[in-house]
Amino acid sequence: MSTELTRIIELFQLPFMQRALLGGILTGLMGGMLGSFTILRQLSFFSDALGHSALLGISIGLLIGINPSVVLLPFAVCFALGVTYLLERTRLWTDALLNIIYSSSLAIAIITLSFVGQYKGGLNNLLFGDILAVRELDLIFSAVLLLVCIVFIGLTLRTQMLLTLHEPLAIARGVSVFLHRTAFIVLLSLVVGISIKAIGVLLVSAFVVIPACAARLLSRTFTNYVVLSAGLGALSAVIGMVVSAAFNLPSGPSIVATQLTIFLTAMALPRLRVLGQG
Amino acid sequence: MKEVVLAVEQLTVYRETYAAVQDVSFELEAGTDTAIVGPNGAGKSTLVQAILGILPRQAGDVFILGQPLSRRGFLTPAIRQQIAYLPQNFLFDRRIPITVEELVGLGWDKLGFQVPWANRRKRRYAIREALARVDAAHLSHQLISGLSGGETKRVLLAYCLVHPRRLLLLDEAPAGLDVRGESEFYQLLYQLKREQGWAILQISHDLDMVRRNCDRVLCLNRTLLCQGIPEVALSPDNLSAAYGSEFVRYRHQH
Ligand SMILES: Nc1ncnc2c1ncn2[C@@H]1O[C@H](COP(=O)(O)OP(=O)(O)OP(=O)(O)O)[C@@H](O)[C@H]1O
Ligand SMILES: [Mg+2]
Repeated sequence: MSTELTRIIELFQLPFMQRALLGGILTGLMGGMLGSFTILRQLSFFSDALGHSALLGISIGLLIGINPSVVLLPFAVCFALGVTYLLERTRLWTDALLNIIYSSSLAIAIITLSFVGQYKGGLNNLLFGDILAVRELDLIFSAVLLLVCIVFIGLTLRTQMLLTLHEPLAIARGVSVFLHRTAFIVLLSLVVGISIKAIGVLLVSAFVVIPACAARLLSRTFTNYVVLSAGLGALSAVIGMVVSAAFNLPSGPSIVATQLTIFLTAMALPRLRVLGQG
Repeated sequence: MKEVVLAVEQLTVYRETYAAVQDVSFELEAGTDTAIVGPNGAGKSTLVQAILGILPRQAGDVFILGQPLSRRGFLTPAIRQQIAYLPQNFLFDRRIPITVEELVGLGWDKLGFQVPWANRRKRRYAIREALARVDAAHLSHQLISGLSGGETKRVLLAYCLVHPRRLLLLDEAPAGLDVRGESEFYQLLYQLKREQGWAILQISHDLDMVRRNCDRVLCLNRTLLCQGIPEVALSPDNLSAAYGSEFVRYRHQH
């Protein structure tokens, strides 16, 4: 047991592991914080669609020979704004429309990738991410983005709350719904875009949705809920990384499995408490 | 001459393709309570929402405390802070975890950029005062998803009252309050207009309450049919113009 522990500790002394851990924490914090508003505004599926469609951005980047990491962020932002515009313009159901968008962009992405011969082996990494490939520049970018999220959400917390609760009340108080909605969508797409490299297009929305849902089950006030959601995001990243190091498991899926465990615990907690009293 | 808090000039508002409010003009003075009456679908809520910039207007002008409401619904934050609005239907997602205290607190802030803990003491004091005024102090730590209809109304009223305002727009506010709540509600409005000079515009279906408590009445049915003191505006002739003559005959027989 103790040798196992030393092995894990030694593993985390390696720079790439430290970068991975830090990257996981940053992503967990950002995903959790924005996620708390995302699920209440019923944008969960939007973040999912955004993640899947990012593959299209990556494949286009590969095809025209630009580094996918460079293409990804602008693509995610443009894509998100385009989709929001479309959602407002058509009178179709949001989830149906998002489904069309994400499955078709996934299809086009895979077709595009088939033209990029040498990348076939990397598909797995695109789908499930490679948290160990996180570079210093990615970390700096994530840290800056986290700071922007904290400042923006922190300074407009009350506005965000009112907007989430009741739009007409917010407008009556002079809140510009369009500006705030756009700012939030842009932030969310940046967070999703930046996290894709580490966690992959398939799992990225878990970081936005699962910790927030767990926090919702555990909180009694709104402010606690937002903070707890970010905290659970970071916590699950740490535990997930340690578990993945200990049992030599893929890191992204280990973190998501940890998030699930936390969520299930949060669901079971009230019942356990009742059992304890009874 | 009293200060004009709200001026509406030839306001026309479309819903889909037809004018739900047409060519409506009136003024509201400080320290007065004005009621809008009219049948269902008359455009009362539409009018109030257009005044606030929630709905776009087709034509006309709205001035609040002298400042024109821009076409895109903009007013300076300082003016916005002087207005409170209580909507007819407060429909919200019950899965949102927000306590009564937090909701009332949202009414206190100016909603610009600010750190969440700014003016913490003053804020908390104002919240407690407002909740006490509507007899809802005991609810402060509850989640709003667990409130009854009447309790929700009280809490929303506290949200409106938590900061001193100049203009209060109420869309069927007392509907859903119990007997005691209703009389306390009118008492509260009386205090607000007399002692603090608020201008109140309230939509109501309770003509007897309007007759007893309001200073002025606007009869609306798409256009403004009459306005004036309750005795005049709610005279049988005017009522039959607004609601149809059948209704007035019925009221007078009972
Ligand atoms: N969301 C909406 N979309 C389209 N038309 C609407 C909408 N809400 C109301 N209307 C229409 O606008 C007109 C005015 O409605 P409004 O809600 O202003 O009436 P009201 O006087 O407030 O009625 P009530 O006494 O029932 O509250 C109605 O004819 C209604 O059909
Ligand atoms: Mg109405």
